Amino acid sequence: MSLPLMKNYINGDWMESDSTTIGDVWNPAKGEKIAQVAYGTAADVDKAVKAAKEAYWDWRTTPPLTRARYLFRLKDAFEENFEEIASVLTTEQGKCIDEARGEVRRMIENVEHATGVTTLMCGYTLEDIAKDIDCMGHPQPMGVFAAIVPYNFPGMVAWWFLPYAIVCGNTFILKPSEQVPMTQTKIFEIMDEVGFPEGVVNMVHGARDVVNGFLDHPDIAGISFVGSTPTAKYIYQRCGETGKRVQALGGAKNIVAVMPDADLDAGMPSLITSYYGCSGQRCLSGAILAAVGDAADEIVEKFRIAAQSVKVGDGLNEQTTMGPVVSEAHKKRVLGYIEKGIEEGADLILDGRDCKVDGYPNGYFIGPCIFDNVKPDMTIAREEIFGPVVSVVRCKDLDDVIDLINTRGFGNAACIYTSSGATAREFKYRVLPSMIGINIGIAAPMSFFPFGGAGNSMFGDIKAHGQEIFKFFTDTKVVIQRWF
Amino acid sequence: MPLENFGSILNFAEEMEKQDLAFYSAVAGNPACSEHRKMFEQFAADANKNIKNVQRTRRENVTEMILEPISGFTREPFCEECSEAETMSLEDALATAHRLVDRAERYYTEAATKIKALPEVSRAFKSICKKHKAQREQLVAL
Repeated sequence: MSLPLMKNYINGDWMESDSTTIGDVWNPAKGEKIAQVAYGTAADVDKAVKAAKEAYWDWRTTPPLTRARYLFRLKDAFEENFEEIASVLTTEQGKCIDEARGEVRRMIENVEHATGVTTLMCGYTLEDIAKDIDCMGHPQPMGVFAAIVPYNFPGMVAWWFLPYAIVCGNTFILKPSEQVPMTQTKIFEIMDEVGFPEGVVNMVHGARDVVNGFLDHPDIAGISFVGSTPTAKYIYQRCGETGKRVQALGGAKNIVAVMPDADLDAGMPSLITSYYGCSGQRCLSGAILAAVGDAADEIVEKFRIAAQSVKVGDGLNEQTTMGPVVSEAHKKRVLGYIEKGIEEGADLILDGRDCKVDGYPNGYFIGPCIFDNVKPDMTIAREEIFGPVVSVVRCKDLDDVIDLINTRGFGNAACIYTSSGATAREFKYRVLPSMIGINIGIAAPMSFFPFGGAGNSMFGDIKAHGQEIFKFFTDTKVVIQRWF
Repeated sequence: MPLENFGSILNFAEEMEKQDLAFYSAVAGNPACSEHRKMFEQFAADANKNIKNVQRTRRENVTEMILEPISGFTREPFCEECSEAETMSLEDALATAHRLVDRAERYYTEAATKIKALPEVSRAFKSICKKHKAQREQLVAL
């Protein structure tokens, strides 16, 4: 049986890439090939940039409210196709259907937020900056923007950027992850129905060549990226060399601290979701559990018991609470980290390596894993595993926790479970990461707040979504005027 | 089968309403039940509205994070058989309708409590429950 081939979407048309390099798309629960995708080339990128550049002026001169109306229509279309998008997403990525639904919801919330353009893109003026002279700042769109997005959120992450870029009057090119190209293909089919003007939104599938095509192209004004830290750093450096705007969000090693005074029973469900939601493949996933003080034994034991109740299986089954990891290669990588943890002397107190799911013999499943007595310098406490593996580091007090967090290099998110307001305040005040959860295990900002970390988790100045994103996609032109 | 997460609770509500819709549509077209055709048509229209309400509630309130666990809630007490609606007698049709509204009231009441960490969902369930209660009163008044 021939598999569907994902096509590029350029200038309002679906077209095949010139590339002869074809990759497979897998259903990770079944370990089956479900589609194919051509790895696009610099020539494909050039076609998309030409179309986006050609469309720019007409789109840029379209009133912002008219541009927003496309998004209103798009929101309705997304609502109508909600379950279908979620189902495609789970099929190719593996996460549970409720997690996929949550992702589609967050995608729509970004569309909703972007429709506030007539308020959020406003400039400012000041009369009489000198005698009879007025000054005004006009935020203006800049041209063609591009985004490169990861496999763990095949739907949502592109939408941290796309609706804001276009509602500001820019045109846009997206490169989805080559591992999960079907979700955005479905989404672009919906956008095609909504009827955006040709060239305003474009999509080029592929891998490294498309990324470099974006970075090298002189007509791309800026790039948004979400992925691993080494790639984020590379993108940031290359954009610096070629004078592009850039926001590059990298990896994480998030620590969730549980203080002795935490309400463990109330907090446990969100704590478990933090580590095992999306099978740990989330840049906001908990990676280290910092169990503090005398209560550490009790914390670890209760957490272990709760982790054992996680139901691993096909994400499309409503009873499943944790799906597979995205690919066979990634499963091997995660298993490699588990071996490393054992080798370096941590205690594997919950072993999910031999996880079997009835009816899914070829799925890329890993059950919940917990390492206890992990030391801060061990590999599993330093590197991002991106899987359902929790490293418990026992800390003596809050200072110890803060030291642990601020020496990881990453600075994405940190959470604390405590009943003390003073402890929570001290924590949020002193830790480096810029997304903080207090009695919340996943500190995920909604569309109207900025998303992005610090340290090696973020390269660039302006984070994803929030009000700030309007600044990323515009340049403020200052006009100083005097009339005689 | 357990109903212990957001999706399964909302999906089961949709399943129930779809079953109601199929049943009431069928009895509305059943000549033996023509005396109460209008009421059955109304109940079918209510079920259709409820399906849309449940779907919208699921879309708009789904969250990635589980804030409170849900336990001790299963489908079995709420499963009902209502086959042969096209040919059953009026007496049987009314008895089945009573069973369906009763299970809906029980389900939405219990589900609204179980899912109270998501107040919008809880509120939607209470509102749908009210509609079923009104249907029960209509049936009792016959």
